[in-house]
Amino acid sequence: MVYYVYDGSFEGLLTAIYEAYYRQEEPEKILSDDNIQDNLFVQYVYINTDQQKAQRVYDAIVHKISSSAAKKVLYAFLSEAQDAGTAIYRYLKLGFKMGKSVDSALADPYVFRIHVLHKKVSQEAGKMLGLIRFRLLKNGIFYAPIEPDFNILGIIAPHFKRRMPTQDWIIHDVKRKLAAFHSQGQYAILPFEFKEALPLDDEEFDYQTLWKEYFQNIAIKSRINPRLQRQFMPVRYWKYLIEKPGTQTKS
Amino acid sequence: MDLHTKLKILGAAAKYDVSCSSSGSSRRNRSSGLGNASLPGICHSWSDDGRCISLLKILFTNHCAFNCLYCVNRATADVPRATFTPDEVAQLTINFYKRNYIEGLFLSSAVYKNPNYTMELLVTTVKKLRKEYQFNGYIHLKVIPGADPLLIAEAGKYADRISVNIELPSSQGLQLLAPQKSRDSIIRPMEFIHSKILQTREERKLYKNAPLFVPAGQTTQLIVGATPDNDLKILKLSESLYNHFSLKRVYYSAYVPVTQHPNLPSIASPPLMREHRLYQADWLVRVYGFKADELLDENQPLLDTEIDPKSAWALRNLHLFPVEVNRADYEMLIRVPGIGVRSAKRIIAARRYSTIDFDILKRFGVVLKRARHFITCNGKFYGERNINELTLYQMLKPTAKQQNSTKVAGEQLTFPSLYPQLFQPEDVHTVITGEM
Repeated sequence: MVYYVYDGSFEGLLTAIYEAYYRQEEPEKILSDDNIQDNLFVQYVYINTDQQKAQRVYDAIVHKISSSAAKKVLYAFLSEAQDAGTAIYRYLKLGFKMGKSVDSALADPYVFRIHVLHKKVSQEAGKMLGLIRFRLLKNGIFYAPIEPDFNILGIIAPHFKRRMPTQDWIIHDVKRKLAAFHSQGQYAILPFEFKEALPLDDEEFDYQTLWKEYFQNIAIKSRINPRLQRQFMPVRYWKYLIEKPGTQTKS
Repeated sequence: MDLHTKLKILGAAAKYDVSCSSSGSSRRNRSSGLGNASLPGICHSWSDDGRCISLLKILFTNHCAFNCLYCVNRATADVPRATFTPDEVAQLTINFYKRNYIEGLFLSSAVYKNPNYTMELLVTTVKKLRKEYQFNGYIHLKVIPGADPLLIAEAGKYADRISVNIELPSSQGLQLLAPQKSRDSIIRPMEFIHSKILQTREERKLYKNAPLFVPAGQTTQLIVGATPDNDLKILKLSESLYNHFSLKRVYYSAYVPVTQHPNLPSIASPPLMREHRLYQADWLVRVYGFKADELLDENQPLLDTEIDPKSAWALRNLHLFPVEVNRADYEMLIRVPGIGVRSAKRIIAARRYSTIDFDILKRFGVVLKRARHFITCNGKFYGERNINELTLYQMLKPTAKQQNSTKVAGEQLTFPSLYPQLFQPEDVHTVITGEM
């Protein structure tokens, strides 16, 4: 049994898929290098990331399957699910045979898996568009920390770029130590970490209080329903919400 | 009075308005401005009662000249009163929006002095937000019953959505509980807005830059349980509003007893289950292609509280079932209890390439507990044999355990009583099939 191992980057995964087509032995699985376990019966083949090979695979997806398939593959990759690499490989293999109709072949377990992963990631990204809370810092930058389940920073940044083009803002994925930095209609995603708490602008406290008070007063007392609230707004997202202060994630 | 106190009073005063959606508009940002609208809408938070917060929902003022019996802000009520200035509303909106607390503004008001005076204040505020503050986010404006059509036309230029609340489903109800409002003062503006929307649509076909008029359409709200009107009457009303005025949504609001009066029913808690069933039935009418007459009739004018309206319909029409999932058309598939829009679309797509077996149905999100009684899969029937309507009814009911687990503070809440992001028929494509 042969498993391909790539470096954890999207390009790495696409390179592995390229090699799977051109090398002798076909991989049983394609894994990212941070989730391999020792297994006597498995031969691990490490794939070196190659930008050109990756680009060729990406172009092939867009031209031979569809651009929506390319988007699904990227979203499935961003889910960071262990089986994402393998599922993407099988999905693309079928896709290169069937063309764009591969997305109708939902009875195929890998196709369905890609659809599920794509849905999960886009749902969380959609939810995050609403749940991000910016705080105004002393230096005039709006700063928002998040800890999403999936690596969605790249999906949500363009939304805020369109919406707040004149605002300087940072969206910080604390868990992955990544941040999107935006200034004057341009943004970049870079590794980011800081040691000390960032100083808040004076007027920030006033608006935080106003928002909390508004939040308290908008609920109808005779219909209080915390279960329904948590169903839509899972507790694991509360940590950085202004209106749910200090609520740590319960396991 | 400071801004904190005002926001507390005028935020709390707006909470009985249920509309929360920020969908249906794709207003774009201009380079130097702030904000845009998102077509499927975005929820930003959920309050302690589980309802979504998308817009900053406030009243401009709660000083009211009207005396509607069911309302907390009626003229004779003894409550603290406050009034914003247009700049206060604009600055709150802008600063909340910059922090991503909200998707925009929902501005309503009590009737201050007279309808035209109030409507003018609302229009001034919204105009200011758009012109002075360069705000391009979502704005939902409430029409004050009795306001001049000219003011409504002006409001529609700046708002993404406007709404006129019907509140009570019959003119008798209005006479009894809201004597200063009349059927005419409510229906006429709705008619006017509808014709204006149609006119704008034609203009924009000819001139791409013709000004917008409420791009996200109009909605309304009905109070359920304050008057003796039955579900059939309410659902028929909604159906005709969808058909005649192309309303985007009708919201239902379980009557919350805030005051005592001989003309008002005395109930301990709001009829949440009834509200929930009405939302389900409304959904069936709007999205699933049901007619109000199919769901209810004169002999059965109330929705069943035990089982959902689609199951109830299926039980009355057992002669149409079972249907074969590999052959039935889409319209029939979505009528099967346990199969929704999403799973029906998956079935239609997948069966072009392979036959659907029972395991695949499970994976597609079909609720087989309900659906198995109404389908065959490759000719095989998975439900119970020799079963009649009555036993099936018992099987479709939520079990006592399910009911217990959902009891909150003595009230029975089986399902979300308000759909979170309320999408419209034309959004169905983006919301439901967008991911397929």
